[in-house]
Amino acid sequence: MATIEIDGKSLEVENGTMIIKAADEAGIYIPRFCYHEKLSIAANCRMCMVDIEKAPKPMPACATPVADGMKISTLSERAVEAQKGTMEFLLINHPLDCPICDQGGECPLQDQALGYGKDVSRFTEKKRVVEDKDIGPLIATAMTRCIHCTRCVRFGQEVAGIMEMGGTGRGEHMEITTFLGGSIDSEVSGNMIDLCPVGALTSKPYRYSARSWELQNHDAVSPHDCVGANLHIQTLRNEVKRIVPRDNSAVNECWISDRDRFGYEAVNSPERLTQPMLKSGDHWEVTDWKTAFSKVVQGLQTEINSAGPEGVAALISPLATNEEGYLFQKLLRSMDCDNIDHRLRQVDFLADSQQNLYSGAELPLEKLSTISSVLLVGSNIRKEQPLLGLKLRAASLGGSKIYAINSLDYHFNFKLDGALIVEPSTVPAALAGVALDVSRIVGTDLPEQFSAWAQLGGNRDVYSDIAEVLVADSAESLIILGDSCRQHPHYSVILAISNWIREVCGVKRIDLHEANGVGLTQNGCVPKNSENNALNLVSNPRSAYLLYGLDCVEDSIYGNVLEDSLKKANFVVSFSAFKSESMNHADVVLPITPYTECSGHFTNVEGMTQRSNAAALPRGEARPGWKVLRVLANQLSLSGFDFVDLNDVNSEMENTISEKPFEYPHDIEITLPDKHNGQDSNKLFHRIMDVPIYRVDPLVRRATALQKTADNSIRPIAGLNVEQAREFTLRDGTLMNVVTPEGNGISIQVQADNRVPVNCIYIPAGYIETAPLGVATHLTLEEV
Amino acid sequence: MTMVKQFFKNFFLVELLKGLRVTGGQLISKKITVQYPDEKTPKSPRFRGLHALRRYANGEERCIACKLCEAVCPALAITIDSTEREDGTRRTTRYDVDLFKCIYCGFCEEACPVDSIVLTDIHEFHFEEKGMNVIDKVKLLEIGDKYERDIASARHKDAPYR
Repeated sequence: MATIEIDGKSLEVENGTMIIKAADEAGIYIPRFCYHEKLSIAANCRMCMVDIEKAPKPMPACATPVADGMKISTLSERAVEAQKGTMEFLLINHPLDCPICDQGGECPLQDQALGYGKDVSRFTEKKRVVEDKDIGPLIATAMTRCIHCTRCVRFGQEVAGIMEMGGTGRGEHMEITTFLGGSIDSEVSGNMIDLCPVGALTSKPYRYSARSWELQNHDAVSPHDCVGANLHIQTLRNEVKRIVPRDNSAVNECWISDRDRFGYEAVNSPERLTQPMLKSGDHWEVTDWKTAFSKVVQGLQTEINSAGPEGVAALISPLATNEEGYLFQKLLRSMDCDNIDHRLRQVDFLADSQQNLYSGAELPLEKLSTISSVLLVGSNIRKEQPLLGLKLRAASLGGSKIYAINSLDYHFNFKLDGALIVEPSTVPAALAGVALDVSRIVGTDLPEQFSAWAQLGGNRDVYSDIAEVLVADSAESLIILGDSCRQHPHYSVILAISNWIREVCGVKRIDLHEANGVGLTQNGCVPKNSENNALNLVSNPRSAYLLYGLDCVEDSIYGNVLEDSLKKANFVVSFSAFKSESMNHADVVLPITPYTECSGHFTNVEGMTQRSNAAALPRGEARPGWKVLRVLANQLSLSGFDFVDLNDVNSEMENTISEKPFEYPHDIEITLPDKHNGQDSNKLFHRIMDVPIYRVDPLVRRATALQKTADNSIRPIAGLNVEQAREFTLRDGTLMNVVTPEGNGISIQVQADNRVPVNCIYIPAGYIETAPLGVATHLTLEEV
Repeated sequence: MTMVKQFFKNFFLVELLKGLRVTGGQLISKKITVQYPDEKTPKSPRFRGLHALRRYANGEERCIACKLCEAVCPALAITIDSTEREDGTRRTTRYDVDLFKCIYCGFCEEACPVDSIVLTDIHEFHFEEKGMNVIDKVKLLEIGDKYERDIASARHKDAPYR
């Protein structure tokens, strides 16, 4: 510890702390541009000059570590003179365009110029002008405004993990630019907008639409992933104008993903549903709530009378709040119906009957950045949960070892110490291989059913590496199960094996959920009888369907089957915030509001429940889902739905959720896959499937700027192993026919993809175009 | 004694004659009455009347939608919506002034960095229908176009004192 004095205030600080940090903690203001708590120290803006006793000249507070007995003055004449001098230099080339600059009103340079700037410039020479760059659909640039603080450069290098911005030239010729003028494609690039202390990088979708001082802040939580990033939704006259992060060190620190930041565009899109609608013949008629409700009540009662409560199936989007989920399942269960599920991207439900469905992250998310080793199974964590990707990158920089078992050789923003890239059907086998090595190290026999799987695996060296690392520091080790596990036809096997590893050597595990999957699971949006799981509800057509917040084709990996079942059903109600394809199969459409207009709670994968507040009034006749469900239940004369406000629903929910211990079985009956090698004929390919980052939910699919990013393609593009692509004469935009064994086929653009292993074809889900393939694991490929 | 003085003052109508002297003086002096609306009194170049939005000489509207006038307006009379125009410049899509709310303080004109919103010397206006008190961007620009010469000369006259 060192005792220092800043402006006469005596402080005890850790040795090696920088002066600026010590001052921040003591609440003493030092001006700065390049210093940021979460980034490395660059000390290139020179704004934080302070006067240190006995030092021959002013020193930068951000790059000067404290020393015992140091006496620092931030207000002495010498310090202020240095700061004013720096400001004069910074303003030499900075344009005077504050009135049209989107940063105006929230600009550190503007604020500090008021305190340290002169009102008259002494600079009479020629000013520097820098050409603006086009760096993609999310960030607008005005590079003449840039003061070369390099926060954006450091963010890319250190936090995001891809150095997309860089400085070229020296002195007056220095420019911040992307390499070769390319676009910025990081999934967290929007944070550069917040970091930029001037108006050089601003939000493109928000461009010129409001000023910072007239916006109202509303505290919300992101529904797009299972992290639950804290947001400020900013509105002007009841319209969402932009979304910025809200600091929460336990969840998102000060970052949010682009999905969280730009997803709001959907809310203002013309595709919003604002009126209840009834289908009459082949066209839609706008109606009022009363008529719509009576139609729903009549329809449901007819179907229940003829087919019984079992004839009704309810499917809910994982984007729904806990309250909506709770009321939805309560409504169903009050009608003696257990047919409710939100897991529309899961195929294997064998583990349901034997476990508590929410396994919980066994460690707080903030611990992720200090974990010592990680095994990723079936996860493109960087795109699935961008903020957890950042934490793993921080862990990797800190020396942790990260391994992956995946079907696609994903490009992560951290270094992999080893990767097993295997065809999808072999993922459980590869995990079993790891388990086998773990069993050898800890001296416990691997259960027989797992060893059968373990024989199917491949490269033994990597297995033993992973096993050794996991066991070596098992309390600080973690297995992460990603989206591809959840979509895997042998999800239960993956669960069981990972659970066995967890139990024998004490590693932690996180089973990543989609969006608010944890909250919905806890609040009953899963069937009590596992037989009534989403796949069964979809593949055995019911006479009535209730769809909640779903675009049925894109939001399910068996959307094609769901569509057929909806066609066969007598009565379909769709609760939706948007007009969509699934509307065509519905008889009644009830407009609900997206999360920006609906208060509620979201539970993240850690089990942390956070409240999200409505930021705007519902558009048109749309109403928050929980109110719609409450009134519908009243109309159906169900008891127990007399809630006046959200708090009533909440207190009832809290009494209902019981804290169950985490229990995972190892006795799941495991059947080996029939065709684990898949390669029956030369032409049969394993299908690798994932849902691309900007296709995951109804909001991001309608966010126009996100749809234009490099992470998204408007039409799906299939990927083929580079070697095998040569066998076909693939050119850019080559169309090929992909056919399932059942004969369902699509034609799709195919390109060589170096991430794809041999005998596999990558075809993304989340597109209407690829929906006919369903969950087929093997495909044949024919040239058109 | 005072009673006697008072009696003679009353008897000779002294007070009346004093009054008539003033009246008589005014009768022959130059008149200051103005035959409004045929004649008008001169106005200061700083007169604060009806609002106008100005253009540059090349016809481009001056307003850049910085919203400073909206922020400074003490009566919340100004409402602005802004967006990016096709050529990439920052422009208003809506510029409404509620003349019932406006207190003609002139802060908007003071705040404007491009001399776009100005208060003209027009004070003779009325509304015939409900809602006409809110004048929009088109109307404001029309006023600006019509009176640009007067507006410019008033600013020019006042310039040395600013």
